[in-house]
Formats: sequence, structure tokens, C-alpha cells
Amino acid sequence: MKNISKYLLLALLMLGLVEPALAVPSFARQTGQDCAACHVGSFGPQLTPYGTKFKLGGYTESDGKEGHIPLSAMLVQSFTHTNKDLSADAADGFKNNNNMSLQEVSMFVAGRFTDNIGAFAQGTWSEPDRQFSMDNLDLRLVKPMQVAGKDTVLGISVNNNPTVQDPFNTVPAWRFPYMSSELAPTPNASPLIAGGLEQTVIGATAYGFYDNNWYAELGGYQSFSKSMLNSMNVDPGDKIDGTSPYWRLAYFQDLRKQAFSFGLFGMNSHLLPGWSSGRTDKYNDIGIDGSYTFLGTREHVFAVNGSFIHENRNFDASYADGGASNKNGHLNSLNLSGSYHYNKTYGLTLGLFDVNGNKDQSLYNTGDADAGSIKASPDSRGYILQADWTPWGKEDSWGAPWANMRVGLQYTGYNKFNGASNNYDGFGRDASDNNTLYSFIWFAL
Amino acid sequence: MKRLIGSLMAAAISFGAMSQAFAAGDAAHGGKVFEEECADCHSVKDGKNKKGPSLFNILGRKSATIADFNYSDAMRAKNTIWNAEVINEYIRAPKKSVPGGKMKYDGLDDEKAREEVINYLGTLH
Repeated sequence: MKNISKYLLLALLMLGLVEPALAVPSFARQTGQDCAACHVGSFGPQLTPYGTKFKLGGYTESDGKEGHIPLSAMLVQSFTHTNKDLSADAADGFKNNNNMSLQEVSMFVAGRFTDNIGAFAQGTWSEPDRQFSMDNLDLRLVKPMQVAGKDTVLGISVNNNPTVQDPFNTVPAWRFPYMSSELAPTPNASPLIAGGLEQTVIGATAYGFYDNNWYAELGGYQSFSKSMLNSMNVDPGDKIDGTSPYWRLAYFQDLRKQAFSFGLFGMNSHLLPGWSSGRTDKYNDIGIDGSYTFLGTREHVFAVNGSFIHENRNFDASYADGGASNKNGHLNSLNLSGSYHYNKTYGLTLGLFDVNGNKDQSLYNTGDADAGSIKASPDSRGYILQADWTPWGKEDSWGAPWANMRVGLQYTGYNKFNGASNNYDGFGRDASDNNTLYSFIWFAL
Repeated sequence: MKRLIGSLMAAAISFGAMSQAFAAGDAAHGGKVFEEECADCHSVKDGKNKKGPSLFNILGRKSATIADFNYSDAMRAKNTIWNAEVINEYIRAPKKSVPGGKMKYDGLDDEKAREEVINYLGTLH
């Protein structure tokens, strides 16, 4: 496993290094399509049905011409304001409120290498970390074929974040909000599959997409070695004991004027907290998800995405060492979003979220100002409202297919935060004190 | 000779009837059908190829003749003129019309919508 990981990383680095940095082609350059063909609102990562199929096709679709260089770049500049100042600075080098941040500068190796191999690999320099680290990776091997007279794609994804390989905007890696503040408090509980393993693992999943309708995927994840994680500047987190199985089933229907999907997904992980040995904490996640998109003539596009995840937890290891007060627990996470985009340019999205579970003193009542929970509860609930403007990314846009940009204004409101509406941390902070106004300008090249 | 003239007249009548049917389609509504069904992959601008070739001035064009578009071998072998009848047959069931072609489109079942979109294509010149 260690060797495979090293070779993969080496291969990706080489792919990035062998191409001259004279041009920055993207998927749009490779396919001849505009950003709006694959993305609702002309900007990633919210996918249209066309984009869903492009992803499942392993990023290999092209205009048939040679010479496309699979490199792209991204930059996000943002501003964060919370309703009440934090009790301490948001991060090193930042204030306790009203922070401007060069949030992300990313490089991508993104595109087609052969008829059957494509990749989406991202390295990111970010604040507040101020270092370059491995971000999302999705390397694909695909084989289109006919099965019982129907178009079928069989594929393998090698990726470093469970659900990052998924083609729907319902699962944790790709659901709304697609960009958010890293300098505002966020609820302290979420299911493991919702980012708890991102970038610390490497997995391989095999999938089939039959008749443009049925999607099935099965695979497993293991932790990178600690030295590998160090070399990629990724916090090692906890170690998977053995292999964590991952599975996914979905039905998808693209009716061109509209599209919908529904499905199930799940993962079962045994973690060694802090890379200890011996006992493990066990997380069994199962999710149900669905989406509907009205596309029409693409002038008025409505989309609804949702998922519900239930996680059963067994803290065999943490209970033994005092990290958890209960040996067993659970967590539920509901996420819904509805978006409207006009003329592939102006967008308005409302997201609702609700996470709840059993109380646990050791897990949640940490005694930290802003981040703790005096009620020892993971319960949080709120909404996110975002307005955005994407002036480019269409067929006639300036810079197409070289450049794209989104400007967004986002407001996050909390009805409940870490278990309470008022004085949730025991230091007098209310849930609404964490309400966040966030603006961003997001460039992609 | 009589038979030949008879056949030609029958062909002319049937062509005329078909053209009349296509003429009945609403080109403006055809533009909406185009946006719904075709525009993800086809531009109507001269020289702008996307996943599919530009459909500017498509009516009357010889098949597979845009120089910088990478057609499938099957489309190159089609060797036809894109008139209303040929387009109608193609967009009704692309995979039957051009087996082995690259167009990943299942076809437009609605006959009226096909007429309208063909009439819309006829305005692109």
C-alpha cells in the first residue's frame, strides 16, 4: 500500500511537471464545451446532467484534437464577518473578526491522458495554514462498452476522500455550500464520511454506469502512511485499521429538460485514534440522497439536492482512554439545498442543515469558548443563503475557455449551535453570535 | 420512360408534402427545442465547434465537411446532404441512422418538435 501510494503521488507530480506552464487548459478546452455545459450557473462544482456523465466517463471526453494540456488553477479571496467577535483570533495572523483572506490558491492536473485514463488532482496553498498541501484526488480508469445492447461505462477511481468520486451534488464532498469560510466557527459534529477522512486516505473503488441510469460502486480505503501524509502536508488525523469498505447505489435519469437521481451510500470504518494501536472506534455510516434539476432552455434552472446520513458509533478505544463518555452513540445529519440560476449567470441558493445525536460529555463538552458545548450535545441547525454572479463561462464569454470567475455573498444563520440557542459554550456565546457574512471572489483558469 | 416520369412526380409530390409539413413547424419554438435538446453540444455560430460541429448553415451542407472537426468514421462514411428529411431521420434515432457515430443522443421522439427544430436550423445562415 505504501509503495502504491508513493507511485501514485510520483505519477501525479510527473504529470504536472512534464507539461510546460505556457497554457492552462481545463476541461472546457479539452472538450470544446463551455463551463455552462457541465456546471449549473456556469461554475463548478454543481454539475448538470452533462457534467455528471463527463465525470463518470473519467474526464476523458474530448474534441478529438491533440495537444490539450491538463492543467488548471484556482484562486479564492474572501472576507469573513461573524455576528460577534470570537473570543480569540480566528487563526494565526488573523483578527477575532472581519478577516480578509487569500483563502485558496490551487493547481489542478485535470483532464484526459488517454482514451481510458483521466484525472482530477488538486494541490492547494491555503490560509490559515500557509502551506501547499495535497487536496482532492480522483484518478480514473474507464472502459465504455455495450452491455445487453445498452451504453455502459465501467471504471475504477483512485481517490483520497470518500464521496469525492461521486457524480452527484448530494454527497458530502460536493454538496452546497461549494465555498465557505475557514475563519468562522462551525458546528463540532459531523459524520465521519462528511470530511472526516479527507486527504488522509487512499482508496480504490470500482463502478459501473449502465444505460445512463444505474450507478453502482464498491471499494475500500486505507490510510496513507504517516511519512506520506507528512510529505503532502496533510494532518494525519486517525488511522484506519485495515480497510474501510465503501459502497454506492444510485438511479439517474437525464430527460434533457430535467433530470433526477436518488440513491444510497455507506461506509464502515474502524479507526485507531491518534494512530494508537489496540482498540478501535467504529463508525458505520449510511446515507440516502436525491436530486432534481429543471433545466429547460437553460435560461431558468432550478435544482434541489438533499441527503440524510445516519452514523452509528462505537467508541471502544475512546471510551477506554476517556475520550468519550459513552461507549455507543449515533449522529444524524440532514442537508438540503435549493438553487435558482438565471441565464447561467445569476444564482440564488438556500441550504438547510441539521445535525443531531446523543449527548456525550467527553466528546462535546470540551470547555472551550466558542467551540465547546455546555450541554455536551452535537445538535446544530441553521441555514445558508448565497447569491452569486458568474459573468463568464458561457459560449460567448470573455476569456472562454481560459478563464472563469464567480463573485458570491453568503450568509449563514444558526438556530442552534453545539446543543443550544443561548450560551451554548458556557461562556455566554449564543448560536446567532456565529452567524456569518462571507463574501468571496473565485477565479478559475 | 413513363414509369420514370411517374416515379419522379411521386417523389416530387412526397418531397413537397414533407417540405410543407416542415414549413408548418414554428421556427421560433424550434429555437427553444434546440436550447433544450441540442445546445449543450452544438453551437449555431459559424466556425464554433463544441462536442458536436457548428450547425450554422447546416441545411444543404454536405455531411462531415467542417474541416477542423473530428468526425467519426461512421459519419464520414454517411456521405449525404443535410436536408430536412435527412436531418429528421438522423435526430429521430441517431444511433440507427449512423451506427457507430459519436453523437450520444437517444433521439427526439416528438415529430412536431423535430419539424420545429429543423425549421429553426433553416434560419441559421
